[in-house]
Amino acid sequence: MRFTKFLKVEVDVVVARNAFIPDNKSSKEYLENVAIAFMQEEFAKVNGFKENDVIKITSKGRSVNLKVKISDIAHEKGILIPNGIYASYLTSFDGFKRFKAEIELADGEITKPEEIIEKLKG
Amino acid sequence: MAITPMEIYKLLPKTNCKKCGEQTCMSFAFKLVNRERKLEECTPLFEEEKYARQREKLIEYLKPLEEATETGLIVKEELCVGCGNCVVVCPVHVEKDPYGCGSGLAPKTDKLILKVENGVVHVLDMDMCRRYGKNRVLCVVCRENCPTDAISFLEG
Amino acid sequence: MSGNTEYYTCAGCSCLCDDIEIDLDGENAKTVKTACRRGSNIFLEYKENRAEPAIEGRKVEFEEAIKKAQELIEKSKSLAIYGMDTIPIEAQKVAIELAEGKEAYIDNSSSYCLGDFVEMVLKKELPTATFDDVKDYAYVIFYWGVDPHNSLPRHMSRYTYYPRGKKRQRGYEEDRYLVVADIRKSHTAMLVAKNARFIQVDDDLKLVDAFIKVIDKQMPEKYADDAVRVIREMQKADFNVIMGGLGLRYGLKGNYEKFKEMINKMNEVAKVYFIPAGCHANMRGFNEVLFEKTGFVNKYSFKDGESSLDYAFFELLKNDKVDTTLIIGSDPVNSLPFEISKKLAKINTIVVDPRKSFTTQIAKVVIPSAISGVEQGGTMIRSDGVRVKVNSLFEREINDVYVLERLKEVVA
Repeated sequence: MRFTKFLKVEVDVVVARNAFIPDNKSSKEYLENVAIAFMQEEFAKVNGFKENDVIKITSKGRSVNLKVKISDIAHEKGILIPNGIYASYLTSFDGFKRFKAEIELADGEITKPEEIIEKLKG
Repeated sequence: MAITPMEIYKLLPKTNCKKCGEQTCMSFAFKLVNRERKLEECTPLFEEEKYARQREKLIEYLKPLEEATETGLIVKEELCVGCGNCVVVCPVHVEKDPYGCGSGLAPKTDKLILKVENGVVHVLDMDMCRRYGKNRVLCVVCRENCPTDAISFLEG
Repeated sequence: MSGNTEYYTCAGCSCLCDDIEIDLDGENAKTVKTACRRGSNIFLEYKENRAEPAIEGRKVEFEEAIKKAQELIEKSKSLAIYGMDTIPIEAQKVAIELAEGKEAYIDNSSSYCLGDFVEMVLKKELPTATFDDVKDYAYVIFYWGVDPHNSLPRHMSRYTYYPRGKKRQRGYEEDRYLVVADIRKSHTAMLVAKNARFIQVDDDLKLVDAFIKVIDKQMPEKYADDAVRVIREMQKADFNVIMGGLGLRYGLKGNYEKFKEMINKMNEVAKVYFIPAGCHANMRGFNEVLFEKTGFVNKYSFKDGESSLDYAFFELLKNDKVDTTLIIGSDPVNSLPFEISKKLAKINTIVVDPRKSFTTQIAKVVIPSAISGVEQGGTMIRSDGVRVKVNSLFEREINDVYVLERLKEVVA
């Protein structure tokens, strides 16, 4: 049980392309390379996150669970998520590639694209 | 992470027993990096129980040596995006294939050091690399222009 | 290596690399040479995850899917055609004819991507050049709001910073100056070393302002050192290029006038060209074909005979203005904001795609098609405007031109 489990952190989310995003959206590579949130080592440490943690990102009332990956390609005060169905689920045209969100340690597994598609079908 | 003689030395028995044929453990450590000696030649390390933990650590630490090419260039395919920077930037390539690699295009010859195939870079012929051989030059251009650290050198 | 090596073109992104060698093993690509990770996978894995003809999720025969799509198009009162970023211009033209015949709306991803920049370039409001010119002559290579290492992997090694050129024979360390402007230290920014500069930008408009002020010998609010240094480098040569991506597009917040002012000002003291960085393989192809026909690059309504933000695909969906949509070679459920893409599940959505994209999973009708560069060829336009011939490894009867011609049958 980690103390940080109860802490929510407000972050700047940047969405960007990543060379490992597969064109085949049914592949397991899609989950491995798109359902991730990059963050810098210092930011992760200060906020109690570790590599491979599952975090819940909430923006505009919608949430996804993504896996943490420590990387310098994220900016200092936030997270970077790859282009794809997760970014599109969280965003709007008011701040299309850059928006504010809250992150916290998640209880469950990373979100699968099917879950978002089910929500879309309503 | 470069494999250094100092890091190896710290895990050796440090008794200078000379059983491996070297005068000192430090000398053995250097020869290990150059692949002139094998870890198994330090018989006390393998025969004496008190060195078990150090032995395990050393075996782990030296793993990349097994995977590296003859002259120490390691390619981590899982990090390579196939951008071709290394192929285009290599001074040997520019000299040997100015209108192919040197101009950013597909190579016009097979006599090259590096080549991108099936999306990732592969080593073809390290002998041509300037880092090795009699007139060696400290050339790090390929590694410098790989932002994902897919290319690294054994010696650091 | 023989002199008559057959080269193929990869349609993975707007680099449109046409120097790809492929060793075939029957109907499979065994070895793909030179193409990047993404491009190689297109050839190596082309058989995977292919779309199947379907109506409301139920697998049907191809003809049945075509007939259903024709029926939906015929009875539609308000049709929007979208996508086409990954198909050759020969197929884009048929889609445009279909839209015209049905007085429909037509748009591609450029309406929320780089369409505005392409328009400015086509209307000659921004001076532009080709990547071949850049390779041969450019000194300052400025990537603004784009991370080519990830979005256009071979861009830097094929067209800009790394290759030698006619007047850039001494290589990147002496003959090029790299500038990367981004909100974070992207992989491309990590390549900034000796003769280069990384500008960490939080507000692109302030950086634009900095360049303008510095040229006018005034003190800007921010980025003074960066602007001074870059201008100084630009003045050392007679050919410099700025390539703008999505970061710049969204960073400018629609203030293109200020950006144009900056480019003009730069050209008072040095020679600076602008090229839209690029994204999808043939996004610009659609822009140019539509521009030739209508004078507009996207967001067009054949009924109203004009282009407007109201006719952008995402606006039409947001405002519930269409009852049917035909999506070709694109995956809006993947790329558009949820609130907008969810509308696609409520209307008659027809998807023409070679793969089981996310959008095929919510579509009323799915029509399988061919993969560009592998099963269909044609012409595609690179992000710098150069037309590139795309061969195909195997010819298939069913491709985008065929499907669109079939759908066009029910239109006047």
